[in-house]
Formats: sequence, structure tokens, C-alpha cells
Amino acid sequence: MRIVRALRRAGILGINERNHTYMLRWNRRERYPNVDDKLRTKQICARAGIPTAGVLGVARVHAEIRELVDALDAHASFVLKPAHGAMGNGILVVHGRDGPRFVRSGGTALDREAIAYHAASIVSGLFALGGQPDAAFAEERLEVHPELSQIATEGVPDVRIVVFRGIPVMAMTRLPTRRARGRANLHQGAVGAGIDLETGRTLHAVLAGRPVRLHPDTQEDVVGRRIPDFDVALEIAVRAADATGLGYVGADVVVDASRGPLILELNARPGLAIQVANRAGLLPRLEAAQAHWAPDAPLQTRLARGRAIARSAA
Amino acid sequence: MTRAVACVGFGLIAAGAAVFLWKAALLGTPLQPSESRNLWRVEIELSVRGSEPRSSVAALLPASDHAQTIFDERIGSDGLAFGIRTERGTSQRVGVWRGALQGIRHPSYAFRVQLHPEADPGSPASELPPDALREAAADLPVGAEPVRELLESLDVSLADDALARTRTLFAFVSDELEAAEDGSDDALLVLAGREGSQQGRARLLVTLLRSAAVPARTAMGLSLEAPRDARELVFAEAWADGRWVPLFPTLGTMGTRPADLVVLQRGNGSVVEAHGVEAVSHRYRVLRERLRPDELSALMVPSSPLLGALSLYRLPVRTQATLRILLVIPLAALVVALFRNIVGLRTFGTFMPILIALALRDTALSTGLAMVAGVLLTGLAGRLVLDRLHLLLVPRLCVLLCLVILVVVALAIAGYGFETRDLLTGVLLPIVIFTMLIERFSIVAAEEGYRSALLLLLNSLLVAAFAYPIFHSIFAAHLMLGYPELVLCVMGLLVMIGGYTGYRLAELVRFRSLAADGVGHAP
Repeated sequence: MRIVRALRRAGILGINERNHTYMLRWNRRERYPNVDDKLRTKQICARAGIPTAGVLGVARVHAEIRELVDALDAHASFVLKPAHGAMGNGILVVHGRDGPRFVRSGGTALDREAIAYHAASIVSGLFALGGQPDAAFAEERLEVHPELSQIATEGVPDVRIVVFRGIPVMAMTRLPTRRARGRANLHQGAVGAGIDLETGRTLHAVLAGRPVRLHPDTQEDVVGRRIPDFDVALEIAVRAADATGLGYVGADVVVDASRGPLILELNARPGLAIQVANRAGLLPRLEAAQAHWAPDAPLQTRLARGRAIARSAA
Repeated sequence: MTRAVACVGFGLIAAGAAVFLWKAALLGTPLQPSESRNLWRVEIELSVRGSEPRSSVAALLPASDHAQTIFDERIGSDGLAFGIRTERGTSQRVGVWRGALQGIRHPSYAFRVQLHPEADPGSPASELPPDALREAAADLPVGAEPVRELLESLDVSLADDALARTRTLFAFVSDELEAAEDGSDDALLVLAGREGSQQGRARLLVTLLRSAAVPARTAMGLSLEAPRDARELVFAEAWADGRWVPLFPTLGTMGTRPADLVVLQRGNGSVVEAHGVEAVSHRYRVLRERLRPDELSALMVPSSPLLGALSLYRLPVRTQATLRILLVIPLAALVVALFRNIVGLRTFGTFMPILIALALRDTALSTGLAMVAGVLLTGLAGRLVLDRLHLLLVPRLCVLLCLVILVVVALAIAGYGFETRDLLTGVLLPIVIFTMLIERFSIVAAEEGYRSALLLLLNSLLVAAFAYPIFHSIFAAHLMLGYPELVLCVMGLLVMIGGYTGYRLAELVRFRSLAADGVGHAP
């Protein structure tokens, strides 16, 4: 009971309340496919002029897999993904080539057959949310921004921004580690660092639920780092959320070394670990955003409002 | 929880409870199941040891009569072939297990029995007992010298009616002869020594009755309320006034059966007989049923015509058996909802724990969980091999399914606790469920690591273990079948869980660091 009161006071959002008060209420069921199907998200973003990671090839049925693998032969690196994957499942990252073979992140080499098999598993629906037939697609592999290369190993860090009714309320960056095998997933051992919405600098960091200051692989400071082009990241996150018509969204943005911030994917069920990374609860911010909601406010006003809410909650 | 959710939740609970209470009052049955005096479950477990390729063991099976109704018979064959034959000239049924013995086997026979101790034996049977029941037999020295002398000294005359002769002889055997556990089984020795075993005194009584021209036979039953090792009760039956009169020298009573007696056998012969075995023994397990027969009948034939039309107990037994399972699933679903939304345990899918519990319904929990572990390990090993072959999803799942079936067959051959019957009812569903479980487990293991997968598996098994007693509870099944409106109450509770927006217990642990330093004070 004492813990419950303390969590309430800190404004921590629980799963039940997230589902009930925010997702069920503000994310209309028929809009879920806009974010659950990553190819559709890309289309929507393209129509709204929001940059996303480029698509190298798509296989929607088994017959198209051969074509997809042929197309991939021309690329040194790529990421093979299910269009309906969840929590980073089913993602195959190819770093480079060893003659005809494809080298995965982590160093194992795969032949064409293995790539085709993985694509077939994806198309069969192995990684899809409901097990329904899925599409496999290959995405260009993004490059770690030089400013972040010291605090990300074996993979690309991303920025998760929670957008509620058009107002950004909280952000964190997820820094891949060797233990997470290059993935930016907190429960697999990536470092999560909360971001100050005003300055774009990291505030706190956690690893496996415990506060940390240094990246476990490079021993570099992860707190106080500036995320390059954070303002742009915040802006495209809000615009992408607007474009999908969802009220409560987690936008994943990658700051690419050459192309700058890109939308990687959007999530209609964003996790709650962002609160731990920020050492702050979502509830007061969500309530403030709700209170200040103005449907037709211009983008810059809403961004400024999000920053103000984050400041007053801190 | 919003007002609407609370209203709907309370409304459903109130509606269900109202119908439930109204019906309970109308049917006049207590809500708490009371101890039954007359309904029992009896299991005869045999232990046979031998090494012969052709051996058989036979056990006498009970039959329904005016004072007992035998139903729900179940055979445990333990790898032997089972058949039932009827002994020539009588209606005595004999269960025979045949097959090759290698080591010890435990065939068993179980039944439920409803006793009617007050029941009227009915009108006198027109059919006379066969002549064999008047004659001498190996154990019954009818007409022997000491027997005739005794009849003369007791002044038994054929002029009296059969019942009077029976009374006189019964009085002699129960009053004049000592009962001794290690006494003789032989009728003449008992007569000479004035003391004998249950068996010996019953044989003597039957010998005396037949010598006095009263058809008679020995019989054996189980005193269900007696302590474990004193259950077998040997007695005699005499044909008088056109009906069989039971005589209990051990108890000193005649005419009516004890309220807790189930008759297993009539006529000569021992309960268990074996050929081609080295050793055989048997024991009884007796269990009192929880639900009273009148509760059952009130549910089956309610006083109100409306309730009668709605009573599920009027449906065919097969449909009832299905509904019995279906109607407790909401209770199991309630358990899952509690664990997932209030406690916050992650499990494989929403309904996987229910399915696991359902799969284990016919086995003991510990055996069942061991079985899950065994099948899962083999399946995972198979999955590892299949991964290398790069098969498409559906054929791969089907190969896995075949593998699981082979494991189940292997377990059956090894005699791992399930019988032919269980194989049909209890294992078909589990095969599919286990295959799904293996697939889910291996995906999570590949994607999130074995720690994560094991944790999910343990959580799923934990929730399944909590749902398991619900599927095993006779009371729950009867209650839900009698009062299906209780599903409304369950729905109400589920609605309220669905409207619960507080923290899950697991989140108190997950976010405890945030609670400890009280960060982010609300403005």
C-alpha cells in the first residue's frame, strides 16, 4: 500500500491504466493497422512528407521471396523485417558480405538459403502478432550517428518519443549493447536514457532496471549526451503521430549519420519503461497535455507545449 | 474504475446472484454440498506379478440390484487386454485382464455406487433359484453326519416355513459360534470347534440351510464405512418367501443389508483369481461422494416447470459431460484474468494456462506437470534439429505434432500413469496444446532468450496449477451445471477486473526504484 501511494505520488502510469485510459480511449481500433503494418506506416509517412528508412525489397507471398533475395544480393547491408512484427521479433540484420554469403551482426555468415528461409518464416506469420500471413521486407541499414557511436555497440540507437494527442510528452534513447546483441530493446539488455525535451540531452540512464552512468561496453558516459537533431526528431515524431490518427503513440526515430532523423516505426502500445529511464511518471504530463489540448494548434505551438509540460513536471 | 463499469459489473453479479438464490430457494437444496451417506466411489486395485507370456487375472464385478445402483464403471487395464464375461448359470459378472506379464502390473476397476438401504426388494421373483443352490458343493458338505445331527438337535422340521427354518439356523450360527479372525474356513471344522472365520461361519450357515431344504448361497460385499483392512464382509443369502434374505452372522443381523454395504459377489469363488502369475493381491479404495443424491435429483427434476425446462441436468449425459467442462472454463478464465491484470504475470498467450490446465484434467497435477516437462524437452530438441532443415512453418509444426504424439505413445508404453481411456479423452487435446506450447516456447527462446522463455513457461504453469483444481472439482462442475447463471457473476467480476486501472502487483516491483526516491512530484 505504501508503495502504491508512492507510485501514485510520482505519477507512474501502470499497464492497466495505460490500456484503459489512454490506449482504449484514444487509439481507435481501425487505426491500429496504420502502425502495426510497418509498410503501411512508411506509405502514410511518405504521403505526409516524413522521412523513413528506405525499403530495398518486399515479399508478400512465398513466390516473391526469391525475387527479394535476388534484390538483396546487390546490397552490402540491410535489415530483414516482418511488416507485422512486435517487440523487435524476427529482425535479421546483415552487416556486410563475405563473397556470396551474408554476414550478420555478431559475425555469423548466412547463405542465400538461410536468408530465404528467414523470409519464408516471416511470410508464414511466425513473428506476426496474431500468426496471420505477413509480409517480409528489407530496409536499408541505418548508420550510427558519429556523435552517438561511443555509446552504442553492435547496433543503431533509437529515440522513443511518446506523443499524446499531438503533444510530445516524454522521450528516451535506447542504446544497444553487446549483451542485447545490438538490439535497442531495454528488456534484452540495452541501456535506456531519458531525454530532456528542451535541450535534447540525456538526463538519467538505466540498465536492466538499475541506474547507470557509463555504457557497459565502452565505459563512456551516457548521461548528459546531446542527441543530434533532437528538435527535428521531436517534430517528425509528432507529425507521424498526427498522420496515423492515433492519440497515444510511441514513435521510434533513428538519427541516421547521413540522412538525419528518420521514422523507424510507430507503436500504438508503447511500453512503460520510458518512465524508469526518465525517473519520472507519465501521468502528470499526460494530464497536463489533456488539459491544454487545442486540436487546431500549429505544430510549433504543440512542440513548445510539450517542452513546457516536461519542464514543469521535472 | 468508472461508474459505468461498476454499474455493469455489479448489475451482472446481482442478476446472477438473484437467479441463483431464487433457484436455490425454490429447489430447496443447500448451497454447501453436504456429505453424502449413500453415494460412493470404489476402486479395486490389483497388483499382479509374473513373467508368463499368457496370464490372466479375474475379478468379480458388482451388479445393480434393488439396493444398489452401479454406474460410471471405469477400467484401468495397465497394458493388459480387458474383457467381461458372465459366469455360467448366474448373473455374476467377471472382469478378466489378459496379457503378457513382465514384472508388476496394476490393473484396476472402479465404479460409483448409489446405495438404497431402505429400498423395498420388490415383488417376489417368479423364478425359483436353480437346483444347484440346494445341493452339496466342494466347500459345502450338505447332508454330512454332524450337520444332520445338529438339525435334529435344533428341532428344525420341514413342516415349518422356510423363513422360520432360516431364523433358527441363523440364530444358532450367530449366537452359538465364536467369530475368530484366524478361525477355520471349513464348515465342518467350524461346527466341531464352535468357532470360525467369517468365511467359515457363512459356509456353515449355507450348508445348514441347504441341508434344511432352503436354497442358499454365500456372498461377499464391502462395508464402505469400515476401516481400510476390514472392508470385506462375507455373508449368506437364503431363499425364503420367494425372495433372497440376507443373513449377516458377523453382524448378528438378518433381513436388511447394512446401509454401507455394496455386494460384490454371490456364490462361491474368491474375489480375485489369477492364472499364470507368481503373485496377486488386491486392495480397495473407497471415497465418499460430495454431492448428495437428493441434491442431484433436485437439480435433475426441479419442482417448477420453468426450471425443469431450463435444467441442464435433463440434457443427455454426453452433452452434460461437455457442459460440465465448458461451464467451469469461465472460472478458470477468472483465475487467468486475476493473474494477468491484477498480479501482472506474463504467460504464453491469454488462454494457454487454461488449455494446459484442461490438458492435465485427467492426470494428477504432479504427473501432468512432469509430462509437460518431458514432452516439452523432447519437442524442443526436435525443434532444434528442425531449425537446421529450414522447413516452412506449417509442415514444421506438423512434424513437431507427430513428434509429440510419438512421445505420448512412448510414455503410454512405459506405463506412465495413463490408461487407454485417458489416452482417448485426456491426451488428444494435450497433444495439440503441447505442440503449440513448444512452438511458442521456442519462438520466445529464440527472440528473447531462454531465461525469458523459461520464466513465461513457469508463469503459465503456475497459473495453470491454480486453474487445475477448478477443473478437478466435482463441486464446481455440479454447481455450474446446476446454476449456469453463475456465469453472469463471473462476467461481472471480469468486467470489474477489466475496469481496474490500478497498478499490477508486478509493477510495484518493477517501478519500486521510482517509488523509493519519490521522483517526479506531480505539479
